[in-house]
Amino acid sequence: MPSRTARPNTGAGARPQGPPAPAQHRSEDDPRVMLERDINADMYEPIPPYPTQTERESEFYSSGDGEMFINIGPHHPATHGVLRLVLKLSGEQIVDVDPVLGYLHRGVEKICENSDYYHVIDQVDPLEYISSLFQEWAAVLAFEKLMDVEVPRRAEYIRVLSGELLRIASHTLYMGFLALDLGGLTPILYSFIERDEIMEMLASLTGARMLFNYFRIGGVNGDLNHEFMSRLGDWMSRAAKQTEANAGLLNENEIFVRRTRGVGVLDRATALRFGVTGGNLRAAGVPFDLRRAHPYSVYPELDFNIPTRDEGDSLARYLIRVDEVRESIRIIDQCLHNMPDGPVMAKLPRLLRPRPGRAWGACEGPRGMMGVYAVSDGSDQPFRFRIHDPSFMHLETVPTLLPGNLLADTMTIVASLDPVLGGIDK
Amino acid sequence: MRAIPATFREQTRAARAFAEQAWSGASTTDRLALILVPLALMAFVGFVVSAVVMLGPTIDFLGANQPLVRFGVAAVGILLLTVPTAFVLIYMELKVIARMNLRVGPNRLGPWGAATSMIHGFKVLSKEDFAPTGADVTVFTLAPAVTFLASVMTLLVIPFAPGIFGQDLNIGLLYFFAMGGLSVLGLLMAGWSSFNKYSLLGGLRSAAQIVSYEIPLTLSAVGVVLIAGSMSMTHIVMSQSGSALDWFVFKQPLAVLIFFIAATAEANRTPFDLTEADSEIVAGFATEYSGMRFGFFFFAEYVNVFIMSALLVTIFFGGWTAPFNWPWAYNLNWLDASGIGLLWIGIVAVVLFVATDILGAAIWLFGGRDWSAPAAFGLGFLVAGAGVTAAVGLACFIAFDWVQGIFWFMAKTYVFVFVFVWMRATLPRVRVDQLMGFAWKWLLPAALLNLFVTAAAILILNQPVTPR
Repeated sequence: MPSRTARPNTGAGARPQGPPAPAQHRSEDDPRVMLERDINADMYEPIPPYPTQTERESEFYSSGDGEMFINIGPHHPATHGVLRLVLKLSGEQIVDVDPVLGYLHRGVEKICENSDYYHVIDQVDPLEYISSLFQEWAAVLAFEKLMDVEVPRRAEYIRVLSGELLRIASHTLYMGFLALDLGGLTPILYSFIERDEIMEMLASLTGARMLFNYFRIGGVNGDLNHEFMSRLGDWMSRAAKQTEANAGLLNENEIFVRRTRGVGVLDRATALRFGVTGGNLRAAGVPFDLRRAHPYSVYPELDFNIPTRDEGDSLARYLIRVDEVRESIRIIDQCLHNMPDGPVMAKLPRLLRPRPGRAWGACEGPRGMMGVYAVSDGSDQPFRFRIHDPSFMHLETVPTLLPGNLLADTMTIVASLDPVLGGIDK
Repeated sequence: MRAIPATFREQTRAARAFAEQAWSGASTTDRLALILVPLALMAFVGFVVSAVVMLGPTIDFLGANQPLVRFGVAAVGILLLTVPTAFVLIYMELKVIARMNLRVGPNRLGPWGAATSMIHGFKVLSKEDFAPTGADVTVFTLAPAVTFLASVMTLLVIPFAPGIFGQDLNIGLLYFFAMGGLSVLGLLMAGWSSFNKYSLLGGLRSAAQIVSYEIPLTLSAVGVVLIAGSMSMTHIVMSQSGSALDWFVFKQPLAVLIFFIAATAEANRTPFDLTEADSEIVAGFATEYSGMRFGFFFFAEYVNVFIMSALLVTIFFGGWTAPFNWPWAYNLNWLDASGIGLLWIGIVAVVLFVATDILGAAIWLFGGRDWSAPAAFGLGFLVAGAGVTAAVGLACFIAFDWVQGIFWFMAKTYVFVFVFVWMRATLPRVRVDQLMGFAWKWLLPAALLNLFVTAAAILILNQPVTPR
């Protein structure tokens, strides 16, 4: 690259004498500038610019007769976040798929290991930006085990209440986005009405609209207030009816049902092998829900069902979410009736230095098991902070689900698995 | 004092020096005027002279070639008609879908946002006309024109009202389907030439889709042709005249259903908008297009909706005929347009003035202190003008059957345009194999069944009763 030298300055305002200096910088000399003569058809193949490193990679990037590669993402109208799927197509049929991750990688685990225990909650918030309370909850559960903190019962109830509200918001958004990826314009906007209600509600409780930073080690930050309760009352009076109406938009739509039924069947054995949790696992017939399987908080005191289905296809995954919204409304109702009085924070020192040890905390998020594995070395920062994100496990199943389906089914399957890229890339 | 130049050469030099001095002293505006004014004068003189010389021959030529002239005028008229039609449809779609989504929709430009689509039109005009590297530029440029013209030229045979049509071809319906089928060529060209895989998939999808749905679409219209006994659009409309009960929708209910579904696929509308499925192949064949080239595709899409609705109305819903027996006579002599009657002048001139005065005075006198005289008479003028406009419109509606025809035709057409928009807000998209399966497994057999039943019914009902 030619070096850019400064033109000799002959004094303020002086015009250069003689012929102008030759152009110092020509685009043809710049290796970063692509010229038309450099362009050939091969450049448009998504072949990696490096020699293939693994056997799988070289197998994937050798295309057979009549096959072509196509990129879905990282910028594509239907990707959830910055997911890139390199599809190998034969006509419209998918032969193979290679998901490419890491466009949103921030090194959150390392950041958490460099912040003290209070600040970790702030850092894990944007991982699952759709439902950030649950990642906080997992971290807080792990830290509380590490420090043997007793959480006040009122704080536990408030956690369950706000968590279930957020679960409804997340599932509502899921239904809308699934419909949008199938080409339906309207359900997403109806979903956003419900979600905005809940977000405004939680904003009045927590002070923030999406990244709440509300749960604390040993309780929650702030008690229920009047505005939250009045908004919640307004919403609960119509929530069940409105949810049924919104779900009816899709449940009773012939095209929607035909697009999702039997598409992307995730059977029980495969789901367990890949570590799938949450609604995607329950849609495959395994009644595994951390709220019942490994009870935490006050869930043992509450009465709710774990809906399961046997089909394991996209429609089952969608219908599980619809059922879970109903159950969450029931839980919120019980929380409001059983809410005890008392403090919302345990008494804790200003600087937390847990004894050396390790703890695993996990809660049932809208997508599945949100887990945190924290190791303490006795300092005020976690020695190791490992985040288990369910979306990552679910995305791993995509290469087994997609081949054999059509291009349009990519959107159905990926959307019905409901990945959030913030959590996947960490 | 300057000495008078003696020789011719000196005179020329002096004149040139003077001209150069004047030119260098003149401002840019003056220079522009110095160039343009003589040119305009020359052009005007030339125009007048040629008009005087050529007027007679031109009129003779036009008179001798009336079909050609009619075709030219109709083609230009249709091309001009598509622009406001597309604007209205785009605005309608934005607004109707917004209301169905519980949104407000466009509300910034113009009253209720009505100028939004016009501004969109200016926007695409002002954008860069861009062709991607590696594209086949010739085909890439031609593709929007082919699509646009193919869909617009089908309007040539649609009768909007008695006497208001481009051409009354005796193979009108055939012409319509032939021209409509050409538009797939444009989409295929766009998909192939863009050098983009999304475009390619979109183009191939459109080819498969439109070719498949063309067959049930055409077959469902054949029943009507059998009943009407002609493929001329005007004839088809005339054979449905009377009341709404004479429309072919009641004689061919299955055909209407098939036709509507196939027309949705032909116009690439939801739930069959696979060619530009945004969540799958970004924008399909239009992915690489920008500026006015994209604008042509966009226009063609919306004009297609209008055209399909218009054809549906024409062959199944009575075209421009009124839905009930119109009780009044069509041509009232005292309102005849050719001899501008006293009533027209009276309504437009006298009544407007008198009504403005009366209304303005009344508002001024009884409106209280808030009304100044100009404001009162201004409002009076507006009200009177609206009243007169309404009266003239009503008179035209009664007097001219073509005004009536256009009214009924547009009213019916926009009902179906609304249904198209409604479907877009409601339904998700079908998958490509479902789309093809539906066409070949359901629509085609149903259309054939409809055709056989219609033919058999005509054969039986029209059989002369022979006494034994």
